[in-house]
Amino acid sequence: MNVGPDHERWADAAGVYVLGALPTDECAAYEDHLAACPTCRAETEELRVAAQALPLSAPAMRPPPALKSRIMAEVEREAELLASASGAPRRAPEPKRRRFNFSLRGVIPAVGLACAALVAGAFGGAALFGSSSPQTIPFESTISNTSAELEMTDDGATIVANNLPLPPEGKVYMVWIQKPGQAPEPTSALFTPRRDGSATASVTGDMDAVETVLVNTEPIGGSTTPTSQPVLTASVS
Amino acid sequence: MARAQTDHMDVRAFADEDLIPMMARGDARAFETLYERHSGAAYSLAYRMVGKQALAEDVIQEAFLNLWRSGAHYDRGRGSVRTWILGIVHHRAIDALRRNSVHAKRRSDDDTAAERLESPERVEEDVARRDEASIVRGAMDVLPADQLKVIELAYFGGFTHTEIADMLESPIGTVKGRMRLGLKKMREALAHGAVEA
Ligand SMILES: [Zn+2]
Repeated sequence: MNVGPDHERWADAAGVYVLGALPTDECAAYEDHLAACPTCRAETEELRVAAQALPLSAPAMRPPPALKSRIMAEVEREAELLASASGAPRRAPEPKRRRFNFSLRGVIPAVGLACAALVAGAFGGAALFGSSSPQTIPFESTISNTSAELEMTDDGATIVANNLPLPPEGKVYMVWIQKPGQAPEPTSALFTPRRDGSATASVTGDMDAVETVLVNTEPIGGSTTPTSQPVLTASVS
Repeated sequence: MARAQTDHMDVRAFADEDLIPMMARGDARAFETLYERHSGAAYSLAYRMVGKQALAEDVIQEAFLNLWRSGAHYDRGRGSVRTWILGIVHHRAIDALRRNSVHAKRRSDDDTAAERLESPERVEEDVARRDEASIVRGAMDVLPADQLKVIELAYFGGFTHTEIADMLESPIGTVKGRMRLGLKKMREALAHGAVEA
């Protein structure tokens, strides 16, 4: 089978890659090689079937019910906000029978999932699964020590913040987008930082006409118009 | 209002692949159904990796909120929804391991007394899950110890191949070769449905 340029350098890297054990910088270089090397691609796809089976060997543990409550509370809040921001409900597709199609032989390789994002938070869906390379824009912050960046892709943006303090009691951080000459529009992105002060939030949708991305604090559940001054501001264009 | 659309419909009748676009449009019930189906496997993986209940919960919360907010990025050509979700969890857990550098302190054999004390609830595996797990464990049992070790350190430990080489005082080439050979052998065992009785 054909091999791509630089094949020697990557001999034996396929296993490391599918296990997520290549350092981030090498991972991107290997993915470039994969794009050009059918031999490595075939091997990667073969080995990935084994790597993807590994999680199924973990001893079965029951996630605590309180965890589901916490996650669903956040999801419900964002769903409400999304519904109130986007207006009319959309029709769901016709139900199809759930397919029980587990087969170890039939696992289709998931290309592009093996590069671990090792920088805290550089992990938004857009950054991971988007096809184009993201554009990064710094936020201006009114909170000392807090830094944040906006990663823009074709189909959305991810906010990555560090040293972000906890919002006041009963408040969450909320992301707004603003188009030239218009009032800020609410997004479904509501978030609180992790214990170490890092945070990520994703905004999906076309960001083309957006001029500014703002983050402020709002009551839990969010608001339809801002009720406080922005703490983070990024000028997109 | 918009939410009412599926409240009276049995979302559990939908296939995973059909729930994803519903979730991407903001349907919380579609998300909840995916959570119910996959949070067990996801949590088991997270706990196996980070070895601490609170941290495993953080990982699951981040992974599932990430899923909820980025569902539009699922591509069914790339594999099953479960594989996709477990991939997100795996990356999140690696991220958490590095962030908390629990990592540096962890040993390759991670079954320490302290971890057992704060273990979450072990559950009886249902039949389907038990069959899958035993097939996979059977395929792992086929591997020589040195191959299994590097695979586990990489996948569950979140270590890079260079870290593993340092840890085991082995040449990097040896570590890479063991990973590749081990996965190849495991793949063959899976294809033959190898199950140790
Ligand atoms: Zn190659």
